[in-house]
Order: sequence, then C-alpha cells, then structure tokens
Amino acid sequence: MSHLGLMTVYALLTSVFFAFLWRRDRKEQIKLFAQLFVGLLAGAIAVGWLMYPFPSGPPAPIP
Amino acid sequence: MAARSESRAASTQGVGTTYFVALLAWLLPGAGHFYLGLRWRAAVFFSVVFASLTIGCLLGGELYEPARGQPLTSLAGFACMGSGVAYFVLQHVFDYSADVEGFGFEYGKAFILTAGLMNILLVLDVLDIGRGDKE
Repeated sequence: MSHLGLMTVYALLTSVFFAFLWRRDRKEQIKLFAQLFVGLLAGAIAVGWLMYPFPSGPPAPIP
Repeated sequence: MAARSESRAASTQGVGTTYFVALLAWLLPGAGHFYLGLRWRAAVFFSVVFASLTIGCLLGGELYEPARGQPLTSLAGFACMGSGVAYFVLQHVFDYSADVEGFGFEYGKAFILTAGLMNILLVLDVLDIGRGDKE
C-alpha cells in the first residue's frame, strides 16, 4: 500500500473513533467524521505541498 | 434513551464498579462500554482499536517496552501498553518483533501507538460515564 493509502486508512480509523467518542447523535457523528477525515487528509496533502520546495536528503551526485 | 438510563444505572453502582469497568475497558478495547450497555459503541471501538493494532503489526511497527534510563521510550511503551491484553499477548505469546528495515516501519509505529492511546481514551470515557459525567 502506498503512503497515501496508509494515510487514508489512518485518517479513517481516527475519524471514526473520535466521531463516536465525542458525539452521541448520529447526524452529529457523521458531520464530525466528515470534518475530521477531510481535515486530516487535506491537511496532510497541504503540508506535503508546503514541504515540496525544501529538498529531502543529500543532493544527487554530479555525473 | 436506553443508553442514558443504562449509563445512569452504572453511575449509581459505586466507585468499585466504576474502576472495575475501567479495568475491563483497558484489558479489552470496548469491553467497558459493552459492560455499561453501550453495545454498538463498544463494537465500533473494538473494531477501530483492533484494526489499528493489527495494521501496525502487519506493517512491522515497533511495539515499545518501557526501558530504564530512556524516558521517551518508556512513554511510548506505556502508550503501547494502553492496548491492554493484546500488548502482552503480542510480546510474550507471539514474541512479536518489529521489522525495522521494512517499508511500513514508521507507519506501523504510528498505528500501534494510536491503538494504545485510543484505548486509554476509552478507559477515561468509561470512567466519565460510570461517574455520570457523560452519557
């Protein structure tokens, strides 16, 4: 599974957990789940793009 | 409505029962909520925590143990222990060891730690419900 896939699974599990932990009403659970899930995924992708200009690891050797 | 009256009944059973239910909740994810009559919630919590722990182990993540002189490792160890009986079964029955060089090692760590921490939150939730602070 790719990094994005694993991140999606993690976001799914965490969002379901907190939706059931913090809300009792079904509609509110669904709403909180959606907010958390989208927030986690969108946030992670946004942070990934913010880090894009910065190099990771040593530069490639000159051929 | 039934959940409310059941959780209220639990809160009148005394401090001993409340802490017993919290112990149940730690030992097996969702067991505390199941004991309090919140069966659907118990099933969801069990599934989520168990799935997180299983995925973490399949990815070869680290199952930390408290270590003397290493406070951060010890903290991670206590977080992993939050999973309850599953932690000790993995350590001592299955002799689980992490796949440090594997692709999923870092993600596996996150899943395993999250499973333990989620179960700790469940214990606190059960304590709140048992005392009548929540429903």
